[in-house]
Amino acid sequence: MTLSAKAFQRWLQGIAPDASTADVCRVSGIKRTTLAQQLVRGKVSVSTVVSISRAYKINPVAALAGFDAYTALAGPQRPPTRSELVSQVSTPDLLRALLARPAMDAALGAAAPALSATPHATSVKNWVDAIDDGEVRHRVSASTGVAPQNYSAQLTANRLSPELAVATALAAGVGPAGGLVATGIITEEEAGWPPGARQAALDSLADGELTALAGDRLQAMGKVLRRQEQDQAQTEKIWENLG
Amino acid sequence: MIETLQWTTLAICALTAAARIPSTLRGENRSLFGIFALMTLAILLSIQAPYIVIDQALGGINLANLLLRFVIFGTIFFMGIRISRGFGADNAYRLITGRTGILVLLVVSAVMIALFFSMDTAGSSAGLQAISAKDARHFALVEYYGAAGRAYPAFVVLALVPAMVRAVRDRLPILVRVAAALLAVGAVAVGLTLLFPVIPPELGQVEFIINYTAILCFVVGLALIWVAKVVNARTAGQRRTSSEM
Repeated sequence: MTLSAKAFQRWLQGIAPDASTADVCRVSGIKRTTLAQQLVRGKVSVSTVVSISRAYKINPVAALAGFDAYTALAGPQRPPTRSELVSQVSTPDLLRALLARPAMDAALGAAAPALSATPHATSVKNWVDAIDDGEVRHRVSASTGVAPQNYSAQLTANRLSPELAVATALAAGVGPAGGLVATGIITEEEAGWPPGARQAALDSLADGELTALAGDRLQAMGKVLRRQEQDQAQTEKIWENLG
Repeated sequence: MIETLQWTTLAICALTAAARIPSTLRGENRSLFGIFALMTLAILLSIQAPYIVIDQALGGINLANLLLRFVIFGTIFFMGIRISRGFGADNAYRLITGRTGILVLLVVSAVMIALFFSMDTAGSSAGLQAISAKDARHFALVEYYGAAGRAYPAFVVLALVPAMVRAVRDRLPILVRVAAALLAVGAVAVGLTLLFPVIPPELGQVEFIINYTAILCFVVGLALIWVAKVVNARTAGQRRTSSEM
């Protein structure tokens, strides 16, 4: 959900009392037309607040917590669960970690390279799967009024609106900022995830767990790829006959 | 209004056929050009003025009307083949090109020819309106003749409807889905022509509108698929060049 322009102006007054809109845009790298349009419509996007917070060296999570729709983000940040951390490791990184395990290939055994930054290509779906007890989607759709199929469509596209990301975290009982990390709105550091936490969580997985997880990821990836290939083949056939 | 609709449709169809000439010369899907050219001819034959000219040249016994029916059959047959192959509608393809489809085509054609020659068709008249007005027997014969002429196209396009509806809901490029929707609307319109006998004569305009809606939907739908292919080839080309840099 977007933030009201009124609340945004009040917040901006608090952090940069003397700055003009032009100044704010310059330091935060937001296009002036974009911000002007958001102000005119009375709806300011979450990413605008995040960009401005970063420019003024304020934690974006704390900044968002000051808005009515995101009060859930207030208070001390809760540490992420292990499965959340592992869900934010990209599939290539996960596979490299697996290959580096002595159980896979004793000869290799070398340390895998550092993990790539969040988010990754399927981070949103993996995050929701990691915190889902089987009923989370129902609870989110009940609390937000978003239809389950719209919610699933967002996950398939590796997207989730900030509002839904927070609602999902609340429904699953995990730290409220986790979804914002998975959707790439904020970094893991901004969410208060300890440095190296993802690597540590990955290392703490037993060989069996890691292998099974990699298998799940590959299976999901295979499904997506197969579907894309089928769609592509169907389109090609249409063009071949009718193009 | 009807005249405007007819000439506009003719222009759109002729332009599309002309636009297909370069790709036809390159050998890409020649039958598509054939489909558009046949459609143009069909529209030409259904407009009063050109109909009279052509029919006079053919002897003035309304042979042009019989020709029009077969031009429509040809268009529909080839369109049915291309669309069912393109959209992977194997059942529809088998139905159209298999024994059933050919049998329907032959029976309908035979009935149509028999009805045509059992009428006194002297005197060029688009849509055989003057013939129908001769007497009650001729009125009935023209009705049956018209019904036979609508039966085969309806048979073919109704076989295509399920595949079109499926394509609209599939994960295909948006232009292709719009095209499939247009083809579906056109197919339903052709299906509706079966109901012409129950349309009261004072609503005769409705028949024209249904006919031309069908043609326009087919022409624009087929052209859109082609546009989608060109657009895709262009963006893919751009992507390739930009990744090479």
